[in-house]
Amino acid sequence: MKHFDAMQNASPGRRSTRREWLAGFGGGLASLGVAAMLADQARAAAPAIDPANPYAPRQPHFAPRAEQVLVIFCSGALSQVDTFDYKPELVRRDGQPMPGQEKLVSFQGPNGNLVRPLWKFRPRGQCGKMTSDLLPEIGKLADDLCFVHSLTNESNTHGPAENMMNTGFTFDGFPSMGAWVNFALGTENQNLPSFVAIEDPRGMPQSGPNNWANGFLPAAFQGTPFSTTKPIRHLVRPESVPEAADRAARRAIATLESQSLRQYPGDTRLQARLSSYELAARMQLHVPEVMDLARETEQTRQLYGADSANPTKAQFANNCILARRLLERGVRFVQLFNGAYASGGALNWDGHSKLESQYEVHGEILDQPVAGLLRDLKQRGMLDSTLVVFATEFGRMPMFQAGTYGRDHNPFGFTCWLAGAGVRAGTSYGATDPFGFKAVENVATPHDFHATILHLMGLDHERLTYYHNGIERRLTNVHGHVIREMLA
Amino acid sequence: MACLLRFSAPWFAVGIASVVVAAPGREVDYQRHIRPIFAEHCVVCHGEDTRESGLRLDQRGALLRGGDSGVAALVPGDAEASYLVRVLRGEIDQLQMPPDGPPLSEEAIARIERWIDQGADWPGQMDDTADRLESDHWSLQDLAETTPPTETTGQSHPLDAYIAQKLSEQGLALSPPADPRVLVRRVALTLTGLPPTPEQIDQVVSDPAGFDVAYERWIDELLASPRYGERWAQHWLDVIRWAETVGFETNLERPRAWPYRDWVIQAFNDDLPYDEFIYAQLAGDTIEEDAALGFLVAGPANLPGQIGRDEESMRQARQDELDEVIRTVGQAFFGLTIGCARCHNHKFDPILARDYYSMQAIFAGLTYGERRFRGEENDAWAAKVPAATERAATLRSKLETLRQQHQLRPPLEDLQVETFAPVTARAVRMEIRATSDGSAASLYELEVWTAGQPGEPPRNVALAEAGGRSDASSFALQNQTRHHENLIDGDRDRRQAFPWIAAAGGPAWVQIDLAEPATIERIVWDRGNAVPADYGLRLLPVDSETWQTVAATDDRMLREDDRRAADAVQLRGLSKVEIAELVSVVAQTRDAAAELARLSAGPQVYAARFNETPAPTYLLRRGDPMQRDSVVPPEVPTVFGRLGLSVDHPEVDRRVQLAQFLANQGKALTARVMVNRIWQKHFGRGLVDTPSDFGKKGAAPTHPELLDYLAAEFIEGDWSIKQLHRKIVTSKTFRQASFPVEKALAVDAESRLLWRFPPRRLEAEAIRDSILQAAGKVNLKMGGPGFSFFNQRGGLSDYVDRETFDEAGWRRMIYAHKIRMQTVDVFGVFDCPDGGQMQPKRTRSITPVQALGLLNSPFMLRQAQFFAARVAEDRGSELLDQIDRAVRVAYGRSPTPDEQATLAALAQEHGMAHVCRTLLNTSEFLSIR
Repeated sequence: MKHFDAMQNASPGRRSTRREWLAGFGGGLASLGVAAMLADQARAAAPAIDPANPYAPRQPHFAPRAEQVLVIFCSGALSQVDTFDYKPELVRRDGQPMPGQEKLVSFQGPNGNLVRPLWKFRPRGQCGKMTSDLLPEIGKLADDLCFVHSLTNESNTHGPAENMMNTGFTFDGFPSMGAWVNFALGTENQNLPSFVAIEDPRGMPQSGPNNWANGFLPAAFQGTPFSTTKPIRHLVRPESVPEAADRAARRAIATLESQSLRQYPGDTRLQARLSSYELAARMQLHVPEVMDLARETEQTRQLYGADSANPTKAQFANNCILARRLLERGVRFVQLFNGAYASGGALNWDGHSKLESQYEVHGEILDQPVAGLLRDLKQRGMLDSTLVVFATEFGRMPMFQAGTYGRDHNPFGFTCWLAGAGVRAGTSYGATDPFGFKAVENVATPHDFHATILHLMGLDHERLTYYHNGIERRLTNVHGHVIREMLA
Repeated sequence: MACLLRFSAPWFAVGIASVVVAAPGREVDYQRHIRPIFAEHCVVCHGEDTRESGLRLDQRGALLRGGDSGVAALVPGDAEASYLVRVLRGEIDQLQMPPDGPPLSEEAIARIERWIDQGADWPGQMDDTADRLESDHWSLQDLAETTPPTETTGQSHPLDAYIAQKLSEQGLALSPPADPRVLVRRVALTLTGLPPTPEQIDQVVSDPAGFDVAYERWIDELLASPRYGERWAQHWLDVIRWAETVGFETNLERPRAWPYRDWVIQAFNDDLPYDEFIYAQLAGDTIEEDAALGFLVAGPANLPGQIGRDEESMRQARQDELDEVIRTVGQAFFGLTIGCARCHNHKFDPILARDYYSMQAIFAGLTYGERRFRGEENDAWAAKVPAATERAATLRSKLETLRQQHQLRPPLEDLQVETFAPVTARAVRMEIRATSDGSAASLYELEVWTAGQPGEPPRNVALAEAGGRSDASSFALQNQTRHHENLIDGDRDRRQAFPWIAAAGGPAWVQIDLAEPATIERIVWDRGNAVPADYGLRLLPVDSETWQTVAATDDRMLREDDRRAADAVQLRGLSKVEIAELVSVVAQTRDAAAELARLSAGPQVYAARFNETPAPTYLLRRGDPMQRDSVVPPEVPTVFGRLGLSVDHPEVDRRVQLAQFLANQGKALTARVMVNRIWQKHFGRGLVDTPSDFGKKGAAPTHPELLDYLAAEFIEGDWSIKQLHRKIVTSKTFRQASFPVEKALAVDAESRLLWRFPPRRLEAEAIRDSILQAAGKVNLKMGGPGFSFFNQRGGLSDYVDRETFDEAGWRRMIYAHKIRMQTVDVFGVFDCPDGGQMQPKRTRSITPVQALGLLNSPFMLRQAQFFAARVAEDRGSELLDQIDRAVRVAYGRSPTPDEQATLAALAQEHGMAHVCRTLLNTSEFLSIR
């Protein structure tokens, strides 16, 4: 009977079947469920999805420090040496070859000499952290930030590296961090999607929808992409459909489904479909409310820079306000993108050839809105329960590429930061060499970074698994250690 | 299968037979000299109980196999090649053994080396078997001989006998037969992905021959329908994550990929035997099935331009490309996660890292790209080649006549050498007035050669390393270096180096100042993105401030690719009329040559290409392309036995051998994997619930004997998939009702034992196709380039969803141009795979975003209107007739009185379009029941 044992293991929901059956019979639409979730759910290691509601809040593995996550992702690879990773030696050696790497060939080819940071570094905050004038407003919040300067990536190509930062694998097709968290924890607010990806007003990030994909997890856990410039598709009843007709049609759907349910009593899929129409209706009600930035005060708009004459900055600032409004309403995981697709550095942080002039543009768009968002979260007390992650796919070289005015891809050492719930604020972890070229102290991987984020959410990255094609898959592959030094 | 011996030891306790080579020197004795060293320094961590990194040093076999890394720790007779020795010597980066304390003494290491060189004699353990890996895992065994328990169960159909037996063990039984109308709809949706029309259903259920006969005829009709291949091909495309873009950050289109999709559809429709289906996809080049080779390159792959220029990135990218191929082949045909052994021996299954690289060696000649697409079109093109050749030759000879008549020098080459009387100069300048296609001036390299002397060969004094300094009118600031220093870097390798490109089209110049005056007699330029068509080369003599022209183009015949207008061309001694004639003949020649090239190359298809002399394949330590170990031969995984090919076995035969292996020695697993896929698409779940993982981490079969019975029947039936369908859909198991049964639900909620037909939601494609069918708008055009869901067909900028479609967009969804990563509007959220990872089975989510799309999208509203209009056309103005018709179209049955009442109220108040919109949103329409 070995096969039968295996089958039972594959069906974690079966023990509750009788209860569901009865509930479904008597409880009408109150007990709504998704059998398919169970069918494809992993075995013992996976979170137990309540068949009555896939988005129901679920218990983490241990007491969490953070209830919600905001990931601010800079697409295109933000230069660490021009922003947060201060290297006096790089200033001193400006114009000289990098010792030992005179002939370095990197992603796009040969490199030239070392080039000093293009913006001046100054001490900021009580902690005196040196950050550059490119992002002065973010710099002022140094006391709230915990930097990691020693991150590395397995790929020096944007697509795979962005995949790595957001899914834990360089390949396409793996579930994103948001999908994992959504799968693990569900959401507090049943009127809004539990995982929202806010695209940059200039366009989609380099790895596109991979960044918020469900991969092989059920589609229920994928991110819903929308922003202040790109609403959810088909959310609004089309003008050609009168409200009364719409209401009548929905009622008819519910009636027909209930009649179906009489033939298939207790059918969790039927019930789940009914519930999905109810949730859709609630989203139609609540998403416009969360998107209605007119409810914000002028003071708030100014704080974020939403009043800027620079239209892209104003749009990005609006996205930042939207992020806060989503978090306020209990959305579990919000991804906020800064920077769009491959464009020779014009629309994102990929400063190969004209780094200074392009970064001046991008810096203005990023700085005040993100700083405003952090300040706003803090003043509203939301940083106590929200983890803020600031990330990019890799860094840039301390030298210019031969024959250009920009820096090539550098996966050997780059900077990200954390802020908010459970984070050891005002500190830095790990270090690159004196030029900002390679991580040399407390070298960290994206897996470590992910393990740390999951840990703050109360999740053990080794226990959050899902079976797919032969392996109990994890966000952290088979690697990753929680970076304890970054925890408060 | 190749499970000849069975040991009680775990599968990994295997060995490779050694040839003992006697080495010179004093005989080292294992017991006396070696064992004490191992015992003192190694066995604490690498002993029977500890086995750190999967390695133990107390067994010769274990050393031969090596640890988790898959690298042989011991190669008898060759200490140099033995990983053990290299580790002890401290030659392996970041690996020190013993880990704490001092390294072994040089004497001890030398002794171990000598012992290995002498053959590593190990008393009592010299019988280790060669290349023999054991496994008692169920899927790797031969098919069990099994007789359907028809007598004990009273079931005449063999499938039902197995199912009923298992059910009765649990006190369960098959459900009663489904309603005939439900069954007719079920089998049509299962086999073709389209619901039957009401007329088709009526015909089957009222056939005077009786339902059983009519049902079998109906099955024949469905299997003979081209709609069948269109449904089942989709499943195969999921399994191998086929798509028409490259994925990753560019996600560019593969515009000639669609013939593979058509080939798969055709293969299913033709009932191509599965062994031939495999063969064509692995070695289609040998049988003129070029499109089938799209299989091997179905996955995502980074474009060369997206790969780093450093050696490690290039090797890594090549490994990743081949990894996609191994994963495709491993999962699709073997149903094994061979790809998991890339960095170390498989953690769970008997697959060694060496096996992974041996599989890689089978495909070592493969590259991604397009190949000649042989077939009718190709033959038609080939027939035109002689005439095109003649036309091009005639025009070329005309050009040559003109050239001689006008006394012009031959046209410029791509790599042009200009030779002239020696000049002692201090600088060189090239003034480019125009390029052949009007784009920005560009050169890869500019060389300035001295006149050689006896004993002093000519030198390129332009080189930066010779002190040359470059300058130019401008250089482009693109994403990569286009600087003029590229002209004098001495590197013309298109993969590694870059050209100079001017910032814009129009006149441009470059200049090289020499470190010291030199006597120059030759200048060589190598074209960049453009060819300079009109230029002057000048030298600055050492004793003068006046530039001296040493070469020009005004006496050069035009190149065929020179696209300048006649009035932009000046040639010495030619009138405007003569130039116009010349330009015209050049253009005709260019067009004729292009046409000849196109016809000669033949039509192209995106598919695997093969290099006849592949590079050697290395076992890579930890999967690191920079850590090459030994060269491995092309092979199937060790556990299956040996093909016995050499490392330089002819390329094409490696793939042929693999295909033959799958159909012969390996057929038990091959058949099990495929029959399970077919079963899964009938019942929603496979007998094995992990359809591409038949390994230890996969699920065990719910009905192992049934699986083996089906596999044996499949093989005996000459691998006919249609026969398999017939067997399944004629069973009572398939024909039973799908209603819940409380007692059975309590025991087996998901109906894994099939006490009912498991009802389930349709897949995205079947939903869209069914909507179009209901609305009377489905366009059944087959084959060719797909229609688009978006405003663009590839790339990764912002996609805009198409809101409305015309007839071209009302084709079945398998003909949608498949873009990796990008979720298709409305239907993508019904768990459409994104083409990233392989999806041998689909999840079946239920989400609010699905509801929004089905309720509010312009597509749905429009189709609901078409549906309503069509119903009115079918049945006239009477509302109840229309409702009856609409329900029969959507559900395949008449409405119940309750339904009729609900829908009539809706229709009266708001119109039939809302009735149709309602029906298209209900579970009964969206499900197989």
